Amino acid sequence: MNSKSKRFIKEFFRYLIIIFAAFWMVLPFFWMVSASLMTPQEITSIPPKWIPEKPQWHNYIDVLERVPIGKYYLNSLLVAGTATLGVILTSSLAGYAFAKLNFPGKKPVFQFILVTMMFPVFIFLIPNFFLMKTFGMLTNHLSLIVPFLVSGYGIFLLRQFIMSIPDELLDSARIDGASEFKIYRSIILPNIKPGLSALAITTFIGQWNNFLWPMIISSFSPNLMTVPVGIQRLSLAFASAETQHLVLAGLVYQVVPMLIVFVYFQKNFIKGFVVSGFGNV
Amino acid sequence: MSKVGRKRARAGYGFISPSLIFYSIFFIFPVVFSLIASFKRWNGLIPLFSAAWVGLENYKWLFGSDLFVSSVINTVVYSVVTVVVGIFISLILAVLINGSKLSGFWRLLFFLPTVTPAVAIGTIWGYLYRANNGLINQILGWFGIKPIRWLTDPKTALLSIMITAIWAGIGMQILIITASLQNIPQDYYDAAKIDGAGSFRIFWSITLPLLRPILLFLTATGMIGAWQVFDLPYIMGTNAPAKSIMTVSWYVYETAFQSLRMGRASAGAFILFCIIFVANILVLRAFKKGGIEGYE
Repeated sequence: MNSKSKRFIKEFFRYLIIIFAAFWMVLPFFWMVSASLMTPQEITSIPPKWIPEKPQWHNYIDVLERVPIGKYYLNSLLVAGTATLGVILTSSLAGYAFAKLNFPGKKPVFQFILVTMMFPVFIFLIPNFFLMKTFGMLTNHLSLIVPFLVSGYGIFLLRQFIMSIPDELLDSARIDGASEFKIYRSIILPNIKPGLSALAITTFIGQWNNFLWPMIISSFSPNLMTVPVGIQRLSLAFASAETQHLVLAGLVYQVVPMLIVFVYFQKNFIKGFVVSGFGNV
Repeated sequence: MSKVGRKRARAGYGFISPSLIFYSIFFIFPVVFSLIASFKRWNGLIPLFSAAWVGLENYKWLFGSDLFVSSVINTVVYSVVTVVVGIFISLILAVLINGSKLSGFWRLLFFLPTVTPAVAIGTIWGYLYRANNGLINQILGWFGIKPIRWLTDPKTALLSIMITAIWAGIGMQILIITASLQNIPQDYYDAAKIDGAGSFRIFWSITLPLLRPILLFLTATGMIGAWQVFDLPYIMGTNAPAKSIMTVSWYVYETAFQSLRMGRASAGAFILFCIIFVANILVLRAFKKGGIEGYE
């Protein structure tokens, strides 16, 4: 066999595997959108249908009349946005201290923070629930935000970034009489923008997708439902065969906008995930 | 310490204080609180300190409970299989995509589930897995495979959930493996080609050894996430027997917030925590052997 046809076969298998995998990646999203335009009978028909006979656009209006999806969005945006700001602030302050300032006890405290990352979420569910109850936060958004305001990972990540800023830069500012907080604001923050945006993107996505804790809280305060909790409620509330179209239209409302935002800002997102995945760069 | 040094140290304490205050309220206190609760019979309705101290009773009860033991086994199986198989698939796809046309487009496609809540992913896959009218059985039917009761058969329920978890996770792994792939100098490949090495040989002797640090990193971080899995089994497992799909997170949630057995739930959380801790240390040791400094 000559090398040309050998290369052809190799390339053929390469694309065969990629396209096979890509098919399975797209299928769930494709079917979600397609089924959201079907009648309930089409969704449950045997054999299954791939595309609706006639698109039922009114599904999207029907579900809005019965489910406060806008409210889920507001809750999710408020919670994920505030928690992200909090994580950015606390991580950059602590990251600066651990990277550039010397103080007694620095090393053990930093190691403690690394150890906290190993503790699984489920140890904190019960005590945090009672803390929120004691603080009187169970009925407002603070219960969804406060337990996530600090991230050990965020401190670790930003410390890595801040360590690469040259000391001379800080020292010359100190000679000019700048306070440490001034240095933090006018030298540190502007120099770690890639780190800040990576941390912001991953924290926001993590909070946006967070489910267990918001579910526990909103089982006591239903007005605090976030998007993932809303999705779950939707499929429970409309579980019967006649209301399947509402579940699927609701899913589209909750999934597709985020996908569009992601595809639009793909460069920033992907860079953010790569940077945060490595812990440096 | 000099005056300047003192000033800087004060600033240091000031900057870490928000985090430290947070950790004392939301880390140290909860861990101690949970540990105490795990030795008590407590329903959460009375204050913890007035609940009856029962010693190791909760722990003994859990080790004798079929459901808890299966939830530990399910969690371990889920973590090991999804992480190891997921990274293996990601590695193959990352290498194939890296030399292909439209590579950016493919990576974007595989990344879509990362920005989709697991709850939505579980719900959609729940439809696809339906035994009579699901797309997956229909497609398998074209190849002569008989319908499988994916999510209702205890033999396949956990497997189905793991397939979905791998599907959802590979995009992120492909991305990180790709970033490492692109750091490998082209010279290495050119030299190997001159020596007449085939593609498989090149992959085995150049690509794989150079990717080892990142593969270990993905294993370690993947495991830490996988141990805590709740969303997918909880959403997709509603029609399967609990024993076949329940994970420890789910067990803790159910025991604490549905059955109001807070003491028993805390003990369950601590048992899995000990298993995780040992496993993490083993993985981190492999980390060091693999030549990664890792987290300090």
